[in-house]
Amino acid sequence: MIDLRAHVIRFRGALAYPLTTTRRTVLTLLVAAVTYCLLVLSSFPTYSMQLLGADLGYVDDAVIALTGNTYRTAGAGGLALVVVYAITTGIAVTGALGRVRSAGRPDARGLSAVLPGLLASGCASCGAGVLGLVGFASALATLPFDGNLLRLAGLLLLVGYLSRLGDPRHCTVASAVESE
Amino acid sequence: MERPDASTTRRAVVAGLGAATVTGGVVYAGATLDNRGTDTDTTSSADDVAFHRTTGSTGFGIELDGHPVMGSMDAPLDMYYWGDYQCPFCRRFEENTFPALVDDHVAPGTVRVVFIEFPYLSAGSMTAAVMDRCVWRQVRDENPRRYWAWHSSVYDAQGEKGSGWASRSNLLEITRGVDGVDAAAVETCMDEDRTDIEAAIATDIERARQLGFRGSPAFVLYNRDADEAGKLVGAQPKERFDEAITTVENV
Repeated sequence: MIDLRAHVIRFRGALAYPLTTTRRTVLTLLVAAVTYCLLVLSSFPTYSMQLLGADLGYVDDAVIALTGNTYRTAGAGGLALVVVYAITTGIAVTGALGRVRSAGRPDARGLSAVLPGLLASGCASCGAGVLGLVGFASALATLPFDGNLLRLAGLLLLVGYLSRLGDPRHCTVASAVESE
Repeated sequence: MERPDASTTRRAVVAGLGAATVTGGVVYAGATLDNRGTDTDTTSSADDVAFHRTTGSTGFGIELDGHPVMGSMDAPLDMYYWGDYQCPFCRRFEENTFPALVDDHVAPGTVRVVFIEFPYLSAGSMTAAVMDRCVWRQVRDENPRRYWAWHSSVYDAQGEKGSGWASRSNLLEITRGVDGVDAAAVETCMDEDRTDIEAAIATDIERARQLGFRGSPAFVLYNRDADEAGKLVGAQPKERFDEAITTVENV
């Protein structure tokens, strides 16, 4: 049986971890900013590639234009989901690096503990961009709630990952608790 | 049982509040920055540029029958413009870049623009696209420049997707407000010719897909003499269009 309270406590620990040192905070913000840019740019990949392919200096134009476009096509809720996902990714990456570090050298065992969760949640959320990349930017328009359900699914996976990770400096026995 | 200490709880609350603040800020920016550009030009010569009715296919394979052509028929370059009236990026292009393009390239006779419908966002997109064709049919012989007035009025009235702004009744209401366009004739066209027009638009959509367009606005710049073309996608800054026009013009 899943111990919900333990998950909430670990999630709180994961959320607090980036604020324990300035370096972790900066890393979290940096990863969140990069993630946000990638997610927004992937909402219209051909436009982004053409504009940035011409000159990387257009990155601010592209991010601002596509932020407005995301707001208009996915609504305030859709844009908010993208921002929250980006911030959560920043927290998850910082926590994952902390876990690898506290486990010792970044060996395959350490990475195997953090990569699956990150990749699964990342793929679900960036699915919006991938749809545009492989098929049609308009595919999102045909999805329920303009793709917001897909974004929400990615976010929930990431929150689930953080609730298992907890504060990476502390050892937890999440899987043992859940399997009982 | 794990228990969070006070500092962990405090940090978690600060992190949550920070995330909420950043999210709110970006959403507010998305709402206010939308459609603001740097190329805005309110004194465009677009109102004075000629529109033409023509038939036949271009060397690029675009069927011109039924499509408004803006600019000189002798212009060496074609710009095929696929758009959706519900697309916010198209509106951004219309407001920020198109007027300056008309001033610098269409009015002087370098480029002629062929308007092509690319409705893909929702049923309202197709309704607006069909009405676009009906309006063009109604004005193309007597007063083709009124098409531009209608086209601009619809983009000016663009609302949120699914809000109902692109319903048939609302679009007809917009049409009634455009001088020189007979809304009753447009309504009759919508009733009687919609099926045929939708079939023609489906061909345009298919052509756009063959060209690899996955969103709008989308453009092909085509040098008719040299039979060379280049593609542009999205509401790119005007200087990107300038570069593309220069490149295609000099091939």
